[in-house]
Amino acid sequence: MLSKQLVQDVLSAAIATGGDMAEIFVENTVKDSITMVNKQVEKANWGVDAGLGLRIIFGTSAVYAYTNNTSRDSLMKLAKDASAAVKASIKGEAGTTQVIANMQEVKFADSMLISPEKIGKKAIADALRASALASYEYDPLITQTFGYYGHSVQDVLIANTMGVWAEDSRITTRVGLQAVASEGDEKQTGGKNPGAKGGYEFIESLDFAAIGREAAKTAVTALKADLCPSGRMPVVIDNGFGGVIFHEACAHSLEATSVAKKASVFTDKMGQQIANPLVNAVDDGTIQGEWGSLNIDDEGGKTRRNILIENGILKSFMVDYLNGLKMGMPSTGSARRQNYRYAPTSRMTNTYILPGSDKPEAIISDTPYGLYAKQMGGGSVDPASGDFNFAVTEAYMIRGGKIAEPVRGATLIGKGHEVLMDIDRVADNFAAEQGVCGSISGGVPTNVGQPMIRVKEMTVGGRV
Amino acid sequence: MMFDIFREKVFAKAKEKGFEDYELYYSAGDSFSVRVFDGEIAEYKNSASEGAGFRGTYKGKMGYAYTEKLDEALIDQLLANAADNATVIEDEDVEKLYPGDPSYPECITYNPALNNVTADQKIQWALDMEAYAKSLDSRVKMADYCTIYTNEGSIAMANSHGLNLDAKYNTAYAYLIARVEENGITKSGYNFWVGRDFAAFDYKKLVKEAVDMAISYLGAESIPTGEYPIIFTNRSAREIFGVFTSVFIAEMGQKGFSLLNKSRLGEKIAAANITLRDDGIHPSSFDNKGFDAEGVATQQKAIIENGELKTLLYNTKAAAKDGVKSTGNAAKQGFGGAITTSPINFYLQPGEKSYQDIIAGVSSGVIITELAGLHSGANAVSGDFSFSADGFLVENGKIVKPVEQITVAGNFFDMLKNITTVGSDLEFEGNIGMPSLLVQGLAVAGM
Repeated sequence: MLSKQLVQDVLSAAIATGGDMAEIFVENTVKDSITMVNKQVEKANWGVDAGLGLRIIFGTSAVYAYTNNTSRDSLMKLAKDASAAVKASIKGEAGTTQVIANMQEVKFADSMLISPEKIGKKAIADALRASALASYEYDPLITQTFGYYGHSVQDVLIANTMGVWAEDSRITTRVGLQAVASEGDEKQTGGKNPGAKGGYEFIESLDFAAIGREAAKTAVTALKADLCPSGRMPVVIDNGFGGVIFHEACAHSLEATSVAKKASVFTDKMGQQIANPLVNAVDDGTIQGEWGSLNIDDEGGKTRRNILIENGILKSFMVDYLNGLKMGMPSTGSARRQNYRYAPTSRMTNTYILPGSDKPEAIISDTPYGLYAKQMGGGSVDPASGDFNFAVTEAYMIRGGKIAEPVRGATLIGKGHEVLMDIDRVADNFAAEQGVCGSISGGVPTNVGQPMIRVKEMTVGGRV
Repeated sequence: MMFDIFREKVFAKAKEKGFEDYELYYSAGDSFSVRVFDGEIAEYKNSASEGAGFRGTYKGKMGYAYTEKLDEALIDQLLANAADNATVIEDEDVEKLYPGDPSYPECITYNPALNNVTADQKIQWALDMEAYAKSLDSRVKMADYCTIYTNEGSIAMANSHGLNLDAKYNTAYAYLIARVEENGITKSGYNFWVGRDFAAFDYKKLVKEAVDMAISYLGAESIPTGEYPIIFTNRSAREIFGVFTSVFIAEMGQKGFSLLNKSRLGEKIAAANITLRDDGIHPSSFDNKGFDAEGVATQQKAIIENGELKTLLYNTKAAAKDGVKSTGNAAKQGFGGAITTSPINFYLQPGEKSYQDIIAGVSSGVIITELAGLHSGANAVSGDFSFSADGFLVENGKIVKPVEQITVAGNFFDMLKNITTVGSDLEFEGNIGMPSLLVQGLAVAGM
């Protein structure tokens, strides 16, 4: 992407007047997308995002600069300006750091068996249409659908003054279908949004009719549902996107982004019981082909399987290089950024509660009254207080140990450190789903996942 | 490569390739930000970026492609992909390029004096903000995300029908989250300032309000589940209206993703005290625009006037479908995005009563100061919402205690009819402006 000489010259200029480490992140990303409204393609786009981000770390501070002009002149000016900012900040102490000339080159690429480019957008549109048609066939109450396809090939080069030279080609493909069910003035939606590493072979592996039917089922169920009751009650959260509870209630607060500055409820809790002993959780960036996986993180380090919680005990945070300096901890391969416009920080990859030994049927039948949350939407958290929320898109009441009437429009809230202790059942039916997680280094692909769990009491925010 | 040269080369090749008409939308910008933590610079950020988005009619359909590299070698690929994208479009409503309007509203979005402020001065303000926050109260644990941000940039658009427009802008922004701790419980309050002239920047005011807010939340508890009258502050009112702007967008209604459409114009959809506007230019906004993303002149208009639905928001394609004129609300997500529709300055006409007077008139109710889960807790199609919330309990016209761990739920369309008081304290954040509001009968889930 850039010559070794130019990279070394830029890094040398960046630390000429001070700084402990300099790093470049060069990116060339080609994105393709289609949107389909009802049964017709409405929009298609293609584009190139390309640029370079330069980071200089001095002490536990950082200067970050980016540009999409990658000519030698532009990059040398970028490095000199950034270096001047470092010099001004450290007030005259001269730099002694040298660029390690003998960079260890590593090169990775996600596997792509079939390039979508070869297949053409017409075939992909036909696949999206199949899921739209299946939605309409599922129930005459389905009145609209919205389909989406997105494919991205992000080629990156990460090099730093410590001798890292890492290249990666990250290939993701995602499709989505939202279905709208209507009756009179009432409209409810349901959606499915599978994604993975790889190309057209992922699209071939999907059952588009099933995606359409599932989206339709959620929408129709919500349309026929009563308003969800409000108050404190036991909540059974099903597998798949149910894992958003761990993502929001706990995992964001385990990112060094907030732990390093002691702005997390889990700061200083390493080795302590933070969850019920039934809870085991990992952040695993190494799972082949998964949406949230990466060969290397955005500082060029290998991703890992990090055990976050073992039998309820806090075992690891998710740590990037800079926050690791503040915490006295090594990186866990967790540095991520949306693109070259962002400095990297610690983020999640595939973050899961691991399966237990309970049976889902037993969890339901042992619950006399409560909420069964089957499909979840997104959520958010304030790591400083642990206050989290997430939306339920398909839910049912549990009455007498049986799944009863559907209810709609509920948001679940709580405090992460409290809810983790209140998880009292963990089933064996693990499943994962895909999302895009937004934080200070932008939106990144992440998986959430869990088996069915039960929280013994939570605040359910319904409309009645 | 310079944009003008790039444009000429793209246009010449587009014509050669068989595009019937074509357009380039260019944007370039520089930004600076500094974030401090513990008396040190945590992050100092500088950027320079540009990009160009192409759209053009190929075999009767609109094709899109964009690039951040203005590189001659990419032009063939750009146009080949745009042509390819045009050929997969099946939508029968045709998107057309716009030749331009005879005149555009005057719109000043650039202040040259802002560029005279040095990086050192901005760093100093950020450090001062943090130090001042810590000096105000011993319970202040940290000033998080303590940031000064400035940007400047330009956009230009030109097409083969003779449209040729440009605009430039700059903005300054300051932000912090004050985190306070008492008895092991952390509470946070954030505040921001946006402007185009640092002479109007009072960092002490910004910081003090954030610290006061965080402290006022200490000791918060949940409250019993039930139905309460709700006072939304202008901030939480902006959050809730911001989630539902899409219901007023004509193309959403045309496609069945909004309950509002042309057939409902003239209908009373809100209380009589509600006048909701979307103006191209508003004196309190820093998001003013003279032209939209298609090059249509922006307008001053009421969406709802005294409760009655007067217009929806249109781009040219949606307008042609409803047999009306564009309202100048075409938008693009970045230079490369497809044409969509968005409000420009979306705001509720303020009423007479101050926020304090609204509180004084409530015998028992809840003030909602902050909402969370905005992206997930709402169904923009049905209008249903359920958000996590923080605020205060009001009894006999007075704040009695802070409230946490509650949700507030309802339906946006019902809420429009149940706004009994509109406050006088209109404030913009981005392109949404709201005064505080008193709403009857929303469901609160708590203990």
